[in-house]
Amino acid sequence: MSKKGVASTLMCLWGWLLFVGVSQALATPQLRLIEPPFFVNAVKAGLPPVQQRVPTPHHVTDMQAINRQEGEYGGTLKTLVTREKDSRLMNAWGYARLLGYTPELHLKPDILRSYSVEEGRIFTFELRSNHRWSDGAPFTSQDFRFWYEDIANNDRLRPGGLPSFLLVEGKPPRFKVLSKTKFVYAWHKPNPQFLPELAKARPPFIYRPYHYLKQFHAKYADIKQLSIWAEQRRLRGWAPLFNRLDDMYGARNADLPTLQPWHRLFGESARRIVFARNPFFHRVDSKGKQLPYIDRVIMTVVDNKIVATKTQAGETHLQARGLKFADISLLKQAQRRGVLSLKLWRISKGSQISILPNLNVADKRLRKLFQNKHFRHALSLAINRKLINKVLYFGLAVPANDTVLPKSPLFMPHYQTAWTNHAPEVANKLLDEIGLKRQGINAMRHLPDGTPLRIIVELSGERQEQIDAMELVAADWRDIGIEVFVKPSQRDVIRARALSGELMMSVWTGFENGIPTAHMLPDDYAPTRSDFLSWPQWGLYYESSGNAGQLPQWLPAKRLIDLYKDFLRTQGNGQRESIWRDILEIHANNTIHIGLISQVRQPVAVKDLQNVPGDAFYGWDPGAHFGIHRMDAFFFPKQ
Amino acid sequence: MVSPPNNERPNSSPHENEDDYYLSKHPYQPQAKTSLAREQVALASASRWKLVYYRFKKHRLAVFALYTLLLFYLCVPFAEQIAPYSANTRNSDYLYAPPQSIHLFHEGKWQGPFVYPMKASVNLEFMRWDYEIETQKPMHLRFFCRGEPYKYLGTFKLDFHLVCPPENGVFYPLGTDRLGRDLLSGLIHGARLSLTLGLVGVAISMVLGVVLGGLAGYLGGLVDGAIQRLIEILRSLPELPLWMALSAAMPVTWSPIAVYLGLTVILGLLDWPGLARAVRAKIMALKQEDYAKAALYMGASPSRIIFRHLLPGFTSHLIASATLSIPAMILGETALSFLDLGLRRPAVSWGVLLNEAQSISVVVLYPWLMAPMLVVIIVVLAFNFLGDGLRDAADPYHH
Repeated sequence: MSKKGVASTLMCLWGWLLFVGVSQALATPQLRLIEPPFFVNAVKAGLPPVQQRVPTPHHVTDMQAINRQEGEYGGTLKTLVTREKDSRLMNAWGYARLLGYTPELHLKPDILRSYSVEEGRIFTFELRSNHRWSDGAPFTSQDFRFWYEDIANNDRLRPGGLPSFLLVEGKPPRFKVLSKTKFVYAWHKPNPQFLPELAKARPPFIYRPYHYLKQFHAKYADIKQLSIWAEQRRLRGWAPLFNRLDDMYGARNADLPTLQPWHRLFGESARRIVFARNPFFHRVDSKGKQLPYIDRVIMTVVDNKIVATKTQAGETHLQARGLKFADISLLKQAQRRGVLSLKLWRISKGSQISILPNLNVADKRLRKLFQNKHFRHALSLAINRKLINKVLYFGLAVPANDTVLPKSPLFMPHYQTAWTNHAPEVANKLLDEIGLKRQGINAMRHLPDGTPLRIIVELSGERQEQIDAMELVAADWRDIGIEVFVKPSQRDVIRARALSGELMMSVWTGFENGIPTAHMLPDDYAPTRSDFLSWPQWGLYYESSGNAGQLPQWLPAKRLIDLYKDFLRTQGNGQRESIWRDILEIHANNTIHIGLISQVRQPVAVKDLQNVPGDAFYGWDPGAHFGIHRMDAFFFPKQ
Repeated sequence: MVSPPNNERPNSSPHENEDDYYLSKHPYQPQAKTSLAREQVALASASRWKLVYYRFKKHRLAVFALYTLLLFYLCVPFAEQIAPYSANTRNSDYLYAPPQSIHLFHEGKWQGPFVYPMKASVNLEFMRWDYEIETQKPMHLRFFCRGEPYKYLGTFKLDFHLVCPPENGVFYPLGTDRLGRDLLSGLIHGARLSLTLGLVGVAISMVLGVVLGGLAGYLGGLVDGAIQRLIEILRSLPELPLWMALSAAMPVTWSPIAVYLGLTVILGLLDWPGLARAVRAKIMALKQEDYAKAALYMGASPSRIIFRHLLPGFTSHLIASATLSIPAMILGETALSFLDLGLRRPAVSWGVLLNEAQSISVVVLYPWLMAPMLVVIIVVLAFNFLGDGLRDAADPYHH
């Protein structure tokens, strides 16, 4: 299965010259579009009719082909979020991207009419004609030029310089506008980061509404007026003002036009966030209805603890955020009462619970111990994962390492199972061999220099399941003579302690992307960032290009970062796949993350909504939660 | 004011009607005063503490509360013996098991206390654990038996229990939690920490309050000023952030006992100012009394004046406020643990148990996990009734 998957991605994505999306455009010569009732009055008042609002060629979704039904216009979707800044989720869930993933993880043009790639380094993009922003202004090459030249390359707005996905060996691309709808980015060497970055749940938005934002940009606007506006908002100068208003992802500026299915309205309060359908959205269904089907989305900000309570009372139409596996029993009961229907999606993280020894811990003796793979193997072998599965997940999850899941074309069974069998005798033998002797009245293990071995495991305390799992793990580890203390703390505290080397071990969720295809970046799997709790110092070294942190001397880490650098130079998927395999092999052999369990179910509560898939994967990147599963196609059936 | 001799008191009170003056028909007998009944003699000559005792006994509710509390406090020294399991014993075959009822009759025949075995299975339709009770074979509970071994007082290896689960069976009269831990055992072990924390905390705050308040009230002047300012500072500190900071400062490698002591000290240190103020006010008032001045002029030392002459004047107040602040301490501990600031497993207190019961799932699906709430209510109420009775009793001359 994996070979087929790879071959198909290979065919679809990177060849020499691949025009994808053209066929899509040709397939729909003439479609009679149906005006949504939501806009009937607006059209009478002067809004152009739907035929003139939707760009050509249309982006047509054949609902039957993706196992959905054609929907009905209308309705207001209510959902619960837990923070005011969660308004940004609308832009993830909407998931209108220049090019985006299908649920099968193929990259397809979405906002773009088509794109082509030459030699893995020259990217030519073409827009649909008559594509418009949500306020009706045309969306053209100018918007891309504006972002690249006036924002990304402006040192007042972006003091850090260009983002790393735009740099190949430190060099920027040449950007050139070819026509109103056509433009090109060209690097001197292949850039495998570029396209996957554009499809992320939080994309870089390499285009900005020029017509709106230019009035706040010093190059185009009167600097005196800008400083008056900035002063009114107590901001220092035009640049902070511009960045405040330029909030493509956060959706806090209701004036900022968007290309997403829903755009923000001025709300009456910060705890009730209202979105309305974008009249100029580019997708339509094969019956001629403009997407999204749903007119309005209302997010209510509530405390995390009462999301389950409100969901089972039927106060939300679509809810996954804030619901945990442990809430399933409660939600099933609500389903029996007919309040909602419950779908159980599979979480696509590498692991639900992953124990991360800090390989950069400041204590020299512990560092040596943690870097010893026999020690990590012993810890892994001592854990009874089946019991954790039974106690916490009714036996429905999969006891496994923190690695790729079977859905990924890169999956191999031994990645998942290496060193995960429950074998305390072997673990004991391994520990004896590396010189951790049992001593003292309670016969716990001591370090070779005679000090008792005490491991403090810190966790964020937000998830009860992590605390419960650690209680089971601590008992298992005590059986092999290792004393463990579990300390609930806070995310930021843990990150800071990791970087300073005080953190010994932590519990976190596993790799964010457990379902990578060969062309996705393996950045999670190598020490590339300082917020990775297994190797913060090595990550910092890479992140800062060697100006801070430590150069990894530990062989597996060295090898991983070299492989990652190789990946950034690859041109085709064949090379990428072999690099991925090497990386995953290193993780399987070294048990760098001690993963406990994966493929846990995520409850998704649905009320009255149609077209929500029953069995799907739930993840952030790739996935964007509902985004990849086409939230714009969800609809309320007519009574 | 002379009251009529008791043996001649009529049934109706003389004050019922203002105009209805009562006149004894019997001739006045001066000797009657000396012919009191024996109990009356005892009462008249009883010591102060005896009077307190007599008075207390009359307060039925307080006596009942006292016995209830004694029963609870039995768990403090003998938790291991009373509880069938230890507080952290997990049994992964019985997750979220509902309370098991104790039966006496099986098929109409007397059997003595027994339970029916139950068997867990996953109900995938509703995603929960279902328990099937097998009513064919009764399993007898064992009493005064050998069960799960434990280390008594951290040294003696024992395995004696008051009640044990049946052979090859389980006994969960209050059900189990999500990891299969017995709730009854949790409550009994939790009582040890929750109940003593109040006592120790109040003791600390009493000592501090009486000493500092007494000094401030007796000496006055600069000492009084300093102590008053200290109290004001302590009172003005916001409590929640202070608790958070202090509990964050406690290292994780501390044993539960050390964390517990730390918590008690924190609670005690924060509680004394109120008491100190009351003591100071009382001392200031009482030291103006003639008997206090007399003692001073006769050359008594300050400590003798305070402890011998002034303190008895407000013991009743002290006792009452002490008993009333014990439940406040218990609630304080529950609140702290509820907020994840206090004790943590493996230490078990009622607050820890309540902390684990704070979700809608528990309320709807596993209501037995809220049992610690009931226990807290009972104990706090009992302390309040007891304090009420003690306050009345401590001032036997006052009506």
